[in-house]
Amino acid sequence: MNNGNGRRLNGETEEDDDDEGSEGDLDAWERTYADERSWESLQEDESGLLRPVDNTTLYHAQYRRRIRSLSSQATTARIQKGLIRYLYIVVDLSRAAAEMDYRPSRMAVVAKHVEAFIREFFDQNPLSQLGLVTIKDGIAHCLTDLGGSPESHVKALMGKLECSGESSLQNALDLVHGYLNQIPSYGHREVLILYSALSTCDPGDILETIQKCKKSKMRCSVIGLSAEIFICKHLCQETGGSYSVAMDESHFKELILEHAPPPPAIAEFAIANLIKMGFPQRAAESSIAICSCHKEAKVGGGYTCPRCKARVCELPTECRICGLTLISSPHLARSYHHLFPIVPFDEVSPSVLNDPHNRLPRSCFGCQQSFPNPGNKPSLRVACPKCKQHFCLDCDIYIHESLHNCPGCESFRHSKSPIATEE
Amino acid sequence: MKFQIEDVTVYFPYDHIYPEQYAYMVELKRALDARGHCLLEMPTGTGKTIALLSLITSYTLSKPNNPVKLIYCTRTVHEMEKTLAELKLLHAYQTIHIGDRARILAVGLSSRKNLCVNSRVLAAENRDSVDASCRRLTASWVRAAAVANPNLPTCEFFEEYEKAGSNAVLPPGVYTLQDLRAYGKEKGWCPYFLARHMVQFANVVVYSYQYLLDPKVAGYISKEMQKESVVVFDEAHNIDNVCIEALSVSVRRQTLEGARRNLNKMRQEIEKFKATDAGRLRAEYNRLVEGLAQRGNLPFTDNWLSNPALPDDILKEAVPGNIRRAEHFLHVLRRLVQYLEGRLETDNVEKEGPVGFVASINTHAGIDQKTLKFCYDRLHSLMLTLEITDTDEFLHIQTICDFATLVGTYTRGFSIIIEPFDERMPHIPDPVLQLSCHDASLAIKPVFDRFQSVVITSGTLSPIDLYPRLLNFHPVVSRSFTMSLTRDCICPMVLTRGSDQLPVSTKFDMRSDLGVVRNYGRLLLEMASVVPDGIVCFFVSYSYMDGIVNSWNENGILKEIMQHKLVFIETQDVVETTLALDNYRKACDCGRGAIFFSVARGKVAEGIDFDRHYGRLVIMFGVPFQYTLSKILLARLEYLRDTFQIKEGDFLTFDALRQAAQCVGRVIRSKADYGMMIFADKRYSRHDKRSKLPGWILSHLRDAHLNLSTDMALHIAREFLRKMAQPYDRAGGSGRKTLLSQEDVEKMGDGILNEMQY
Repeated sequence: MNNGNGRRLNGETEEDDDDEGSEGDLDAWERTYADERSWESLQEDESGLLRPVDNTTLYHAQYRRRIRSLSSQATTARIQKGLIRYLYIVVDLSRAAAEMDYRPSRMAVVAKHVEAFIREFFDQNPLSQLGLVTIKDGIAHCLTDLGGSPESHVKALMGKLECSGESSLQNALDLVHGYLNQIPSYGHREVLILYSALSTCDPGDILETIQKCKKSKMRCSVIGLSAEIFICKHLCQETGGSYSVAMDESHFKELILEHAPPPPAIAEFAIANLIKMGFPQRAAESSIAICSCHKEAKVGGGYTCPRCKARVCELPTECRICGLTLISSPHLARSYHHLFPIVPFDEVSPSVLNDPHNRLPRSCFGCQQSFPNPGNKPSLRVACPKCKQHFCLDCDIYIHESLHNCPGCESFRHSKSPIATEE
Repeated sequence: MKFQIEDVTVYFPYDHIYPEQYAYMVELKRALDARGHCLLEMPTGTGKTIALLSLITSYTLSKPNNPVKLIYCTRTVHEMEKTLAELKLLHAYQTIHIGDRARILAVGLSSRKNLCVNSRVLAAENRDSVDASCRRLTASWVRAAAVANPNLPTCEFFEEYEKAGSNAVLPPGVYTLQDLRAYGKEKGWCPYFLARHMVQFANVVVYSYQYLLDPKVAGYISKEMQKESVVVFDEAHNIDNVCIEALSVSVRRQTLEGARRNLNKMRQEIEKFKATDAGRLRAEYNRLVEGLAQRGNLPFTDNWLSNPALPDDILKEAVPGNIRRAEHFLHVLRRLVQYLEGRLETDNVEKEGPVGFVASINTHAGIDQKTLKFCYDRLHSLMLTLEITDTDEFLHIQTICDFATLVGTYTRGFSIIIEPFDERMPHIPDPVLQLSCHDASLAIKPVFDRFQSVVITSGTLSPIDLYPRLLNFHPVVSRSFTMSLTRDCICPMVLTRGSDQLPVSTKFDMRSDLGVVRNYGRLLLEMASVVPDGIVCFFVSYSYMDGIVNSWNENGILKEIMQHKLVFIETQDVVETTLALDNYRKACDCGRGAIFFSVARGKVAEGIDFDRHYGRLVIMFGVPFQYTLSKILLARLEYLRDTFQIKEGDFLTFDALRQAAQCVGRVIRSKADYGMMIFADKRYSRHDKRSKLPGWILSHLRDAHLNLSTDMALHIAREFLRKMAQPYDRAGGSGRKTLLSQEDVEKMGDGILNEMQY
C-alpha cells in the first residue's frame, strides 16, 4: 500500500510538471485566469462577505450519510458481501472528456484517479478481477481483459488517453455484458462507468439493454462529471448500482474510492458455494524459470502453481495453464473486515453539548487532541454506541475507512481501562 | 392529518403539509368567513389544488347548517380529471375519519364529446358535430316521431335515462369523467344528461371556465346554482382573456357565405312547412306576440346555446313586430348579411364604436337596434319551430346573430374593427370583421354578483394589484405566497449580453441584427453542451422563431446544436406538435437529449409541463410582448386607459411578463425538481420589467445574476447542475422546515404566516 501511495504522489507531481510545460506560453495573468480560478475558492456568506470555501462539514455530512445508508442496508438483512468481484471500469473518452473544467482536462483527472482506484481496489479486494473499457467515437473498445494485475491496467490506460466523437452508453453496456455474461456464477458482475458526456448516441433502444443487464445481474454504477443525466440514473436504479455526480476533483476521488469496498451481495448470489483455490509457494530466490504470464525467463521471485507447477509473477491471479485461482492467505485475511464492519458512530447532538450539567470528555479518544472551539459553536463530535467514547471527525473517518477497529472497544476489551470505567 | 384553523377542523389527506399550504388555507378561510372574493398567488408544485379542496370541504363540514357548494373551474379536461382525482383521495380520507358525515357528491361536467357513451354519436370528429348528432337522436320532436315510427334511431342511453325519471340519480361519491362514463354504461343511462342534472344537487362541481363565464353556455348550465357557493378559478392568470373572448365575435367571408347557405335552406324549410303544416308557424307567431322563448318550459334536450348577452342585459319584452313572421325575419337577416358583406369589401382598416355601427346599419340596411338585439333569440325560436337538428351546419348564421345581438345590446366597452388583410401578410386578402370586447369585467361581473365567494388563484398573478382593476372587483384578501424550499432548486438568470459583450434583445430594431441572432445561437449552443437531457426555448412569436431558426440553419449553428441534442419545433398544427412533443420526451428518456422550440402564448406554453429531466433549462428569448400594432390591442389599450386609468405601457409589460413567467414556470412542478431559467434580453434587467415577475422567481433572482453574459451564465449553470445532482434531503435538515407534521402545525403560531407573505 505504501508503495502505491508513493507512486501516486509521483504521478501527481509529474503531471503538474507537464502542465507547466504545456501552458508555458501563457502569460502569468492568463494562467491565473485559466488555471487557478482563485475566485472559485471563495464564497459569499449571508451578509455578503467573502470567505474561503469551508467544505469540511459538508464533506463530513456526506460521509455520514453514506455510512448510514450502508449500515441501514446492513441491518435489514444479515449482510453478505461479494468478495469475488468482476469489475469493468468504463471510461468515457468522447469529445466531452476534453473539457477543461477539471484541470488539465476531465480525461487526465479521470485517468489519474482510476489509477489510484485500481490500486485501492486490489488492495481491498484481493480476490477480484478488473478490466478496462473505453468509449470513443460512439464505439466501445476493450482496453484490457479481466485480470488481477494493477500494473497492466494502468499501463494500458495511460497509453490510450485521447478523446474524440460521441459517447454511447448502449455500446459500452453491450460490450461489457458480453464479457461479464461468461464469468462463473459465484463472481459478482459489476460495471463502473465514468461518464463525461451529457448525452448518449445509441444505435438501438438503450432501455432494452438496461433490462438485459438487469437480467444478468450486472450491477452498474455511474459517476458523472458534469450533471445529472436521467438515463444514467435510470440505469443505476434498475441494476441496483449507485449514481453520483462529482462536484470537483477531490469529490470525484472520494466518489470513485467509494466503489473500492465490496458492495452487498445480490440475493441470488448469496448461496454458499465452494471455490477451488490454490495457495502457491513463493519460489526460492535463486531459481530460474520461465513465467507463464510474460513468457520470459526470470531469476528469483514469482510463485509456483500447486497443481501444474507453472510459474507466475504476481498474486492474485488465475493460472494460465490450469485455470486455478491463485491467491495467498493474507489476501483472504484482508477481505475479512468487509464482512464484519464496525457500527457507525452516533453524532452527539448539540443539546447534549450545550447542557452544562453533562460533563463531556474534552479531547478525542482516538488522537487525544482537544475538540476545537467549544465556545460560540459547539464542535461536531461522534460517539461509539458500544464504548461511548467520543471521537473527532477525522478519527471517525480514519476508524471506519482504514483502521476497521474501534480503539475504545478494543482497549475496553483487553483491560478495563480507567477512562472506560469512569463512564 | 387533522388540524384546527380557528374554528374549522381541516382534514388533510397527507401526513405532512407545506408551510405555504397552511398559510394559504388560513387566508382562504378568512375570505370565506368574510363572504368576499379573494386573489391568491402561490407557485406551482406546492399543492394549491389539494389545499383549496381540503379547506373548502372541511369548511362545509364544520358548518352543517349552512353548507356551501364548491364550483371549481379549470382550463382543461386534463386538469379537471386531476382535480377530481385529488378530491377522491381527500374524500376517502375524510370518510375514514368521520364516516358518513363526510358524504359528498362531486361531479365533473364536460361537453358531450367527453361524456358520451353512444358509439354512433362518438364517431363524429369534433365537438360541434358530436353535439349535433346527439341532438339528432334526442331532440323532443325526433323522439315524438320515433314513438310513431319505431324505425327512427334514438339514443338508447337517453331513453333509459328518461325512463328512470326522477330515480336517475347518482349515489354520493366523487365522479371523474371516466367514472361517469363507466357508471352510465353500467346503468345504461346517458352520463352527459345525468351529470347535467346532478350539477344542481352536487356539493362539488368541477367544470371548465366557459360554463360560468361564457353567457351562451352559462345561461343553461349554471343558471340554478345557489348563491352560497364558492367559485374557484384555478390557473386564472389569463382569466381576463377568457372573459374577453367570451364576448367577442369575428366574422369572415366564409362565415357570410355559410350564413347565406343557411338562410336559403331555412327558406326552403319554411316553404315546406307552409305547404304542409302552416299551423305550426302560426303558433310560433302567437307565442312571440306574448313574449319570447319560454326557455324554462323547453325539453331538456332541445335547448342549446343561450343568448350571448349577459343575463341582466336581455330584454324581457315581446319580439318586435317586424321579425315575428318567419319570412320577415329571414329578410332582415339577409339584409344584415348583405350589409356585412359590403363592409368587408373595404380596402382600409376601419374602426368603429357599436353606436356608430348600429346607426349605419339602420341607414343602410334599415334594421334598428331593437331588432338586432332580438336576433339571437328569434333565430333560436325559428330553428326549434323548423325542427332543425343539424346545429353544426347552422353555426354560421348563429355567429351572425350572435354578432347582431351583442352589437345591439352593448354600447360601451366594445369596438368593431374591419381589417382587409392580416398586417403581417399584406398581399393575401383575408377580410375580417371583429367585434371585440375590451372590458374583461363585463363577463365576470355576474359571477361576482351572484356568488358569495370567488377565489382567483394561480402560480403567476403578479402584479397582484392589477387584477382587481382589470376585473373591476374588490377582493377581501389578496396575497402572494412564496415557496419554502430545502435547497435553491430554481436558478433564474437574466442574460443581457452575448459572449462578445454586445447586448441581446428582441426589440424591433435589434431583432434582425445578425450579431443578436448569432449571440442567441451561441447561447443555445453553449447551454446545450452543459445541460443534460431536455432544454425548452420560448420565442416571442412564430414568425420570429421561423426567422431565427432559419438564420441559425444558414450559419451552421443549428448543425452544431444537433451534435449535442436533437431539435424539435412547435408548429401551429396540433397533431404535428403533439408528435414533436412525444419524440422530444422519448429523446429525453433515452439520454440523447433534446431541445424544444416553442412560442410564448402558444399551446405548449400554456398547458404542457416540462418537469424533471424533460426540462432542466428554459430559455426565454426576448420579452413576449403582444403584437403592438394590432388594431384590437390598440383599441383595448385605449379603453383601459380611459376607463380604468391603466397606462398602456404598464399593461403591455404586465401582459408580457406574465407570459414569460408562465413559460419559465413550466420547468418546475414540484419541490424535488430543479431547473434553470434564462431570461435572454437586455430589457429584463430594467427594474420596471423585472419587478413584475412573480415573487417566487424574484426571491431566487440574485443581484449577481441580473446582468450576465453568455460565458458567465455558462459557469453558473455548470455549478448549479453539479450542486443539484447531489443527493437530496427531503425533510430539510439545515434548520429550514419545509414539511410540517401534525404536531408542528398545532404548535405553530402566526409567526410562520408572516414569513410566507410578501
